[in-house]
Amino acid sequence: MKRVRATTRSRAGAAAVLALAICLPSACSAGGPPSIVGEQSLRIGVKADQPGLGLRAPDGRFAGFDVDVARYVAAKLGIRPDHITFVPVTSATRETALENGSVDMVFATYSITPERETKVTFGGPYYVAHQDTAVRRGDTAIRNVHDLKGKRLCAVAGSNSWKRVTQELNIAATLVPATSYSECVAMLLDRRVDAVSTDDLILAGFAARQGSAVRIVNAPFSDERYGIGIKKGDLGACEAANRAVSAMYLDGTAAALLHKWFGTTGLQPDTHVPQFEGCG
Amino acid sequence: MLATATPPAPRQRPGRWWPTAPVRRLGLQTTPGRIRALAAIAVLAIAGFYIVANIAIGNARDGLRVIGHDAGPQVLATGDLFFALSDMDSQVANVLLTGREHDLGTRQQALNRYSQERATADRAAIQAAELSASNPIDQATVRSVLDGLGRYEQLATRAMVLNEQANHPAGPPPGHVIAVYRQATDLMKLELLPQAYNLTLEGGATVREAYAAKRAAVLSSRLWVALVGLAAIAALAGLQFFVAARFRRLVNSALALATLGLIVLSLAAVRLLSGEAAQLQAAKTGGFDSILTMSRARAISNSLHADESRFLLDPGRADTYSLAYLDKSQTVLYVPSGNLGEYHTGLSAAMKAYHANPRTVSFLGFYGDEARAHPGPAVTSILTRFQQIQADDQRIRRLAGAGDTQQATTLLTGRTAGSSSYDFDQYDKAVVSLIGMHRATFDQAIRTGDRELGQSILGNWAALLPLAALGAVILVVVGVRARLAEYR
Repeated sequence: MKRVRATTRSRAGAAAVLALAICLPSACSAGGPPSIVGEQSLRIGVKADQPGLGLRAPDGRFAGFDVDVARYVAAKLGIRPDHITFVPVTSATRETALENGSVDMVFATYSITPERETKVTFGGPYYVAHQDTAVRRGDTAIRNVHDLKGKRLCAVAGSNSWKRVTQELNIAATLVPATSYSECVAMLLDRRVDAVSTDDLILAGFAARQGSAVRIVNAPFSDERYGIGIKKGDLGACEAANRAVSAMYLDGTAAALLHKWFGTTGLQPDTHVPQFEGCG
Repeated sequence: MLATATPPAPRQRPGRWWPTAPVRRLGLQTTPGRIRALAAIAVLAIAGFYIVANIAIGNARDGLRVIGHDAGPQVLATGDLFFALSDMDSQVANVLLTGREHDLGTRQQALNRYSQERATADRAAIQAAELSASNPIDQATVRSVLDGLGRYEQLATRAMVLNEQANHPAGPPPGHVIAVYRQATDLMKLELLPQAYNLTLEGGATVREAYAAKRAAVLSSRLWVALVGLAAIAALAGLQFFVAARFRRLVNSALALATLGLIVLSLAAVRLLSGEAAQLQAAKTGGFDSILTMSRARAISNSLHADESRFLLDPGRADTYSLAYLDKSQTVLYVPSGNLGEYHTGLSAAMKAYHANPRTVSFLGFYGDEARAHPGPAVTSILTRFQQIQADDQRIRRLAGAGDTQQATTLLTGRTAGSSSYDFDQYDKAVVSLIGMHRATFDQAIRTGDRELGQSILGNWAALLPLAALGAVILVVVGVRARLAEYR
């Protein structure tokens, strides 16, 4: 795969030299930052520990809604399935991975926020999830997000979810740090936290796994737009990704994938193409 | 030393560095043969010039068409469509909020505005459909928006009828009214608005691609036009000198005229292409980029203003609408902030710095881009009014937080100075006026580009070019025919 990339890059280099040769020196502007459009292989960052979205099996393969969407979008970008390398990322490493080039795209329950947009270009969103709260089955005291006041809330590093609660909604919950939502769910069952508040898709995946031990309070309080993380400024890739997402909803793939991964969780996913963020 | 190292010279006539066999086959050893050959080279060079100039002008025409006549106007039409749809939903929310307090005088105004926006949406949709005639997917999307709009109107009407019957005081209506409104607003937010907004973005992407490709093509083909033009001029000059030397004449007037014609034509073509590239650039970076940015800012602004109404209308979703309001505010004008309170503080600080020195653009988002790209009073006016609608929002939320929803509703829906809807209209007018300014720059550049392509002494370049090339070829033929006749 390394070799494929090298030859593409050198071919792109040759094309650039050729293009320069036929341009007047005064007239030819630099064609913007380099784009991943035209690459023959891609490294895609996905979550490794979120059932239903991005989960690494013991054999090292990745599976989930995000992974399938990534495959679809990559195919529309002309990437052969065996030329995709999935790379595990966490909420805390997504921006760095894109900035230092260790991944080309990120599909990892990556909510588009204005703050992140200062560092990352977002294609999509390819889905709009809603933040909700999960508690232990027997806990009936927490009915909506405001009941988290004074409770211990799991806070995943790099995630936006806890900020929504304690900063944006100003709810005085006690934050207990964690590195991932799988750790949060374990802590919830161990009674080290009282609640896990994050996107319904993520919670649904865990709830399906934990069976009756975890309950989702079903009081959504935000729109979380899952974006395709792309290196800041790669507008060509962003526009191509948006076209791919449009096609995914138009040809029924989106509905089929949502049904495949969340059909049994009781969620009623929206199957209309979301409003894109825009690339510029 | 050298002489001994040189291999034996091939059998060749002395003084000829070229192989003699093809020369003889083409008859190049005779004067008429050489004249014919030189004339053929000149004609080929003229034909080459015609071809590259034609391609170059085609590139310029394509660029102008996509940017100026298809995707560019499409962005404006779909931007209007989004605004009209979003404002319809906003007005429905206002009608439901005012309740039986008809003396607020605002209910009828909201209803009138609703009908106006309905008509605007229709017009914009028809325009968008016409502009996307060549793109079946875009056309299907516009149709789908119109279909959805029919369903939306049914739901909105039902919500308003139920609301009338409920006869509630100003503020949130009863639950069964909210339930119907939720269906309507979800349809709008999840189906109609995304399609309209994505069409705007797609238009923007098409323009960006066409600009990058076509401007580069115009510039590189300009070089080719210059090179091939020079080659043709050189070939004509060569022929001229050869004929003058062989026939001891000073000038061959037909050839001289052809040369002169080609010089003028080459210069005019290079100048035209430079002009076209400049107009494409002016249309794109001087007009279109800001039109797109400001159209998006206008769309998102209307949608955040609607979220303010929905926040009051639907307490069950108040958190969602508050968070969406913050996200959208930050999209329009970004200052680092964790919540609305911090946002308002950050906004005040950023505005203070900006008013002290308009070059201090410490904020990002749409208005950050615009204030950096086109500083001036138009942007300042928008920023001042944006700050005003944020101040209104703060007051509304404070009243709502204190439980005074009636006062909050009055402040939100009133259409007199000092109320949120009035201030929002003033703000929107400032945005529309800036879009209009950029539109004028854009239209001017496209018009100039079109005019230059269509204008020359002989009319359209498309007509001038083949005529001029043909004329030059005829002159070459005429010029050499008289000389060749001397050999018959």
